[in-house]
Amino acid sequence: MRATLRNEGGGYLRFGAFRRVFPHPLRVLFLLVTIGALANVVRDVLAADGPKPALPDVERPRPAQPPIGVKEDKHLDKKPVRETKGLDLTRMGWSYNCMECHKLFPAQWTHSQYVEHKNIQLNHGKNRFCLNCHHSVERNTFVDYDGSVIPEAHVVDLCAKCHGPAHRDWQAGVHGRRNGYWQKDKGTQTRLRCIQCHDPHNPKFKPIKPLTAPTYPKRAAKPKSAEHEPTGKH
Amino acid sequence: MSRPENTDHGGAKTIEQAVRPLTRRTFLKGAGATAAGMAGLVAALRPLMQLESGEITLGDLLKTHYQELTPEKLAQIVEELEARCEKDHGRRPTIRDIQPLEGVEFAYALNLSKCIGCRKCAHACLAENNQSRESDTDINMSYIRVLQLDKGSINLETADHYYDPETVPQKSKYYMPVQCHQCRESPCTKACPVQATWQEPDGVVVVDYNWCIGCRYCMAACPYDARRFNFEKPKLTTEQLNPNQGYLSNRVRPKGVVEKCTFCLHRTREGRYPACLEVCPVGARVFGNILDPDSEINYILENKRVYILKEEVGTVPRFYYFFD
Repeated sequence: MRATLRNEGGGYLRFGAFRRVFPHPLRVLFLLVTIGALANVVRDVLAADGPKPALPDVERPRPAQPPIGVKEDKHLDKKPVRETKGLDLTRMGWSYNCMECHKLFPAQWTHSQYVEHKNIQLNHGKNRFCLNCHHSVERNTFVDYDGSVIPEAHVVDLCAKCHGPAHRDWQAGVHGRRNGYWQKDKGTQTRLRCIQCHDPHNPKFKPIKPLTAPTYPKRAAKPKSAEHEPTGKH
Repeated sequence: MSRPENTDHGGAKTIEQAVRPLTRRTFLKGAGATAAGMAGLVAALRPLMQLESGEITLGDLLKTHYQELTPEKLAQIVEELEARCEKDHGRRPTIRDIQPLEGVEFAYALNLSKCIGCRKCAHACLAENNQSRESDTDINMSYIRVLQLDKGSINLETADHYYDPETVPQKSKYYMPVQCHQCRESPCTKACPVQATWQEPDGVVVVDYNWCIGCRYCMAACPYDARRFNFEKPKLTTEQLNPNQGYLSNRVRPKGVVEKCTFCLHRTREGRYPACLEVCPVGARVFGNILDPDSEINYILENKRVYILKEEVGTVPRFYYFFD
């Protein structure tokens, strides 16, 4: 391309054409305007006092979690292992919404988590890709086998894609916790969903500190196993 | 000339021995015996003195077994108990006598693959059942003991329920919470000399705290260490008191009686889950009606590998352990 242009114009065509379009006084004016505009930009960046670009504010206070069990049980600590961000909380008046950002920044396969969401450490079996679970277009939802949408409130169906036996047990009320009424005709029974206990990006349970132990009887003889506790052998 | 006594005489007594005059020694002996007798008499009359001072009521002295109580008598006792609880612990509870449900037999299952030994169940038991405690961290009266066992076998000889590491679960350990198994062939009810403990129609083994004499035979008979004895008057602050109380379950017990897990019958007989299940962070606990073929408990008995603790002692428990 360049070679052909050079042949036609006999020199560097671009600069030559510029000279022909803008005679000398105009050229000076153009340069002055350009420098002025650049200076404006630099001043704005440095001062940063002007009107900010209207980006969505996604930092929100933690929402009220879904109710668990019966209200009267205030003396029991029924808090699940995790607090969820998604699920059907959007329906409960909380506006956590992935599309707030992803309308502006469409997700692309070329984007890796080294660019965004760096706080997420994916450690979930053989899963290496965000889009194994997350839908590529509808960012608020998850993806089914055939690429169709699983709504965020139905996250259990997503997990069931791989974890069939656990899902079967959960449906039978044997996996995960149920609260409230075992007799369903007497009151409501709430059940925890997968991600209220398991971190979907790192599902293995973390070790926790145990609550206080019973005290060893004061006057009882210590068993040999207790005496040699530090070595861990008995 | 002195000679050793009780020798060479072949049974003959000295005059001194025969007559036994009032020496200093015999006088002191007699005085001691009299004092001990008087102390015993005072102790025996103590209930009458307490009656005068209002510490106990006439109803406490002239008790009736729970199963022979008339509704009016029961209402009167409940009234007295509520008043006493308000006086001792600063809050008036609601004590109800909840009857077993028709066609319901309770059973419990616990997932040994899931339990991480965090002891939340043991603490929730205290919060629910009004056991005596010195502080919020004192769970010696909890009905649940969480055993820490070595992986590889179910060896109770090396089990430890005083474990206190930084984090649980420990590698090479697993955890087994043990509480009352509500046995079908319950040795505790057979051992009781006054029939103060019995099995209800829904399978729950209960104690009549007003009838128990505190002999602790049932504790010796229990192979699961499921019973606790009130060595002293229960210590409970107003905040610790759970006002939702059942006559046969979690009302505040008097000193000198045995208490035990009742599957939280004041909750479960109203269709709710027991407290230990409500708090389990890993969902290891499953509770339900074993007579209902669609219940969770029957799903486990049909589909999971089930283990019965100390099956060989023939107690036929209503508490099952299972594995995933």
